[in-house]
Amino acid sequence: MGFLDALLGGGKKLKAPAPDRLFAMVTAQVALEAEIGLKHRNAAGIVFQPLSTGDFKTIVADTVELLRSAAADTGTTVDSADDEFGYRWLVLRDSDFEDLVTALNLVSAELQGGGYGDRLLACVFAFEEAGQPVYFIYNFKRGAYYPFVPVGDKQRGTERELRLKAQVASELPIEPELERWFPLWEIPL
Amino acid sequence: MLLTMFLLGLLYVVFVAVLVSAGIGTGLMLLIVGGMVLAQLFFSDKLALRAMGAREVTPQEAPGLHAMIDRLCIQADLPKPKIAVADSEMPNAFAVGRSPKNATVCATTGIMRTLEPHELEGVMAHELAHVKNRDVLVMTIASFFASVAAMITQNAFFFGMFGGGGDDEDSGPGFIVVLLVSVLVYAISFVLMMALSRYREFGADRGAALVTGRPSALASALMKISGQMQRVPTQDLRAAGQMNAFFIVPASVKKTAATIFSTHPPMEARIERLQRLEAQLQGTAV
Repeated sequence: MGFLDALLGGGKKLKAPAPDRLFAMVTAQVALEAEIGLKHRNAAGIVFQPLSTGDFKTIVADTVELLRSAAADTGTTVDSADDEFGYRWLVLRDSDFEDLVTALNLVSAELQGGGYGDRLLACVFAFEEAGQPVYFIYNFKRGAYYPFVPVGDKQRGTERELRLKAQVASELPIEPELERWFPLWEIPL
Repeated sequence: MLLTMFLLGLLYVVFVAVLVSAGIGTGLMLLIVGGMVLAQLFFSDKLALRAMGAREVTPQEAPGLHAMIDRLCIQADLPKPKIAVADSEMPNAFAVGRSPKNATVCATTGIMRTLEPHELEGVMAHELAHVKNRDVLVMTIASFFASVAAMITQNAFFFGMFGGGGDDEDSGPGFIVVLLVSVLVYAISFVLMMALSRYREFGADRGAALVTGRPSALASALMKISGQMQRVPTQDLRAAGQMNAFFIVPASVKKTAATIFSTHPPMEARIERLQRLEAQLQGTAV
């Protein structure tokens, strides 16, 4: 937000997504599995705000259709779900991690192509460690990742998250400000 | 908007010029008032929260509110503010803090009960837009001029005695001029401040609509709150009178109050603008 925007009481548009660093996860995943022992759960999700406009609905429907028709080659399945806060999740499942990232990238590219890039909230990559879920969340506005380890009732494994940060900092662009490590509870992955 | 801010600035310049020419203890006075404005910047958030009986809540205590604000912060590209809840039947919400890093957003238990999740989301997005636009900072700085003038007016007698200093014939006219100018400055800056505040309310409404993508949800929330506001006990309203500038809807919605003295634009105007945004979103705007 520029000075003039602040002076005049706000800009006209939401911040557009930062340059895409989704594919950084492909190489990072190899390191996560080999060096830290994090196994991916064959699943990833993309979450966005569904707008109630005809145009937006068409783009989302077309994207899902595109993913389903590509499934014949890639084997990636796609499910759509709305959470209690009114955000839409597209949940992708595939044992091939690179296919997952490609599919996520397709969704974000379709929405951005339709001019709705600012509605993208995050991508979530699901891993596990000794049966415990470990997530990496990609924030589109920031173009950065952060770890999210939910434990119990709305509690976070902050220690594990900070350790993960140190472990993958060379592989992934990590969000530097801890107050922007926003949790996403009840991730459907 | 620009004109309003220009006029405020101009007023300040003229005011200082008159003060200096009147030759009273300008330096000392500005020091005191400057100190008060700084104190206001740094402590008003805690004072406001205490006045409302608000207390900070953890994600365990208010999971829904936290999760809602987490998502809005991602969308608005803001760091997470502190989140507080005030135990009050009055359906309202406000944001305090001089910068996004020091911000606290507060909702009353009344508003959380009254509104549907999407309406509440619109209201919280409105408060976050205030945080993002640094409205508390802007309004505090804007109120500086009014504070200076109010202080002189209040302490006119005190200054008058010192200015007099036994030499009544010379100092008399100077003192009266300063007093009159102060009153005038206060009156004008007050009206301009109210105008500035109204502009920034529209700005926050627009910001909220952008972040949620649902202008109609905020419009519906505003209608619900304003309908509800008239039904709450007067005592509660009067107690909250000081806090109006930070509220999403002013505590008293008397139709008789002239709009020029109001911190918030009339509800109809806000709802109309939100409907225009919805029309733009739907692609049906002309």
